[in-house]
Amino acid sequence: MRRIYFMMKKEFRQIFRDPPMVAIIFVMPVVQMLVLSFAITTEIKHVKLAVADLDNGVATRAITRAFANTDRFDVNIVTDDPAAVKEGMRSWDAQVGLVILPGFGRDLARGPAPQVNIVMDGVDGNAASVAMGYAAGILQDYAEKSAAGAPAGAAGRGAFPARMQERMWYNPDLDSKNYMVPGIVVVLLTILPMMLSAMSLVKEKEIGTLEQLQVTPLGRRELLAGKLTPFLILSFIELAIVTVVAVLAFGITMSGSYADLALAALVYLATTIGLGIFISTITGTQQQAMFVAWFFMMFMILMSGFFIPIENMPPFLRRLTLLNPMRYFLAVVRDLFQKGTPLSSLWKDMLPMGLYGLAIFASGVMKFRKRLG
Amino acid sequence: MDETRMTGTAGREAGGENDPRTGRAMDTVVRTRGLTRRFGSFTAVDGVSLDVGRGEIFGFLGANGAGKTTMIRMLCGLLMPSGGEATVAGFDVYRESEGIKRNIGYMSQRFSLYEDLTIEENIEFYGGIYGLKMDEIRVRRDALLEMLGLQAEARKLTRDLPLGFKQRLALGTALLHDPKIVFLDEPTSGVDPRVRRAFWDVIHEESKKGKTVFVSTHFMEEAEYCHRVSIMRDGKVIALGSPGELKREYGRSTIQDVFIEVASGRTAAGGGEARAGGSGDSAGPAGKGGEGS
Repeated sequence: MRRIYFMMKKEFRQIFRDPPMVAIIFVMPVVQMLVLSFAITTEIKHVKLAVADLDNGVATRAITRAFANTDRFDVNIVTDDPAAVKEGMRSWDAQVGLVILPGFGRDLARGPAPQVNIVMDGVDGNAASVAMGYAAGILQDYAEKSAAGAPAGAAGRGAFPARMQERMWYNPDLDSKNYMVPGIVVVLLTILPMMLSAMSLVKEKEIGTLEQLQVTPLGRRELLAGKLTPFLILSFIELAIVTVVAVLAFGITMSGSYADLALAALVYLATTIGLGIFISTITGTQQQAMFVAWFFMMFMILMSGFFIPIENMPPFLRRLTLLNPMRYFLAVVRDLFQKGTPLSSLWKDMLPMGLYGLAIFASGVMKFRKRLG
Repeated sequence: MDETRMTGTAGREAGGENDPRTGRAMDTVVRTRGLTRRFGSFTAVDGVSLDVGRGEIFGFLGANGAGKTTMIRMLCGLLMPSGGEATVAGFDVYRESEGIKRNIGYMSQRFSLYEDLTIEENIEFYGGIYGLKMDEIRVRRDALLEMLGLQAEARKLTRDLPLGFKQRLALGTALLHDPKIVFLDEPTSGVDPRVRRAFWDVIHEESKKGKTVFVSTHFMEEAEYCHRVSIMRDGKVIALGSPGELKREYGRSTIQDVFIEVASGRTAAGGGEARAGGSGDSAGPAGKGGEGS
């Protein structure tokens, strides 16, 4: 126990003596949260819209107003020349064009559902399809309103025999922050413990102190315990910082219990710290360790559903995600934050995560011991 | 058996019960019989049998790759032997490496203190790892700092020390827990002659206190400071004895000349064998310790 204490003391001293390390541990998570949560957003606002209104009647002006009244769209160009829409798109002044043909108002009054043409800049396909959805929603909204306001028997009602009512639960505004920030918690608890433990073990190997430690009475279990406990503690501090910033600064609602979050994190840390140990046994220098850790990190993040929803992946890749411990932890953390599901109901994710943690940590420790034997 | 043969040539027959230096009987603290280590098809250490006594300064000479470091690493418990026997401080290298580790100090070729810790933090850390109490650590730390004249620098980062001081600090740290045996693997490579001298003063001091010192070196003049020297080639000990004995035996005036003749293998074919055998006889003092009493 005393040996572990001295080992931990030494480890903390080394970490806090290294200013870049301190920055990585305490500043990086907050910066990452700021950058990622604002930059990676699936919602789209202020889409530049060009309206070519060839009809220019009461109805079409109302439609234009309906677009202008949301913050989804900024009506940049209003023209009566369809060519101007094309021009606007070329010069990046418009991302979406709305072309209303002459006679729209007349047709609307008469009955047959008139058409509007929407053209999209498909360069950013994702944004285009999201904007498309918004545009359709606004048009439908307008159509419903005008139908409701129209005299009985007007065509409008017939045009919308069934209405779909969408309601988003848990994240009613589809606010991507609620989705992304818990994901960042997961990313940080993946990168930090894995990097720290791999780098610090390999560093001792590189500079020769590991060999020196091996001729002391310090056992390998004590060595690992003394070396890794500080990283476990730091990871929890990290988790606390990120959660506090998420809740206080970003207004993320934490629906579940913090104790559940801590417990799930502990299980997950067995995986990431275990991976760190494992990496340290297959590499000889810090550079090598960095690259290998990078590889694991990329795989884990890309295959976790953090950026790309798992449902959107081809079946082969979808099955591949089952090998990824981060996938389960991400699901658990998102459930805890957004739905407040108790951990006991999340066993479907907790179980594989725990098994991976156990297997990876045990094999890391075993490989570490064997190497030195 | 292997070891019987080896003791035959290197030990028992040569006989004698006395310390080659003091003439008094001595206790064996390191004893190997046919110690062997293979790496794949390469045999790094090939059937080495040695007895080294308490308080003895025992030098390993040999070209790079002759097996010195492998030998030291096996005796420290860093490397499992592939065959043969060895006990260090009475503990078996196969089964009792924990016992060995409590009784030895080790300093490798590479500087192995933490450069990002201060001098006193390094001392405290290693003291703590060896299970010393905090007040013991303080007393020994102060003594070590005084010996090195580093009291004023105690709170400086180790990386800012000149190399000579770093090496002496590493030696002091390896001796902090007062081990019975110290293994020094080329401890003086890269330091200037003045520091090397200071180093050897410490080694002799410790030897007088009864510590056994194993030291491997490239510097032939250092071999002259050892009580006994073994010259290794291709994993075998091919010459063993006090510097004086070796010089007499090979008719050379310096150990350097002895080394060049022996280690380069210039004593061709059969001659080499004869020499090796001959050195086995001259290795008498090794046996003295082993079979003493």
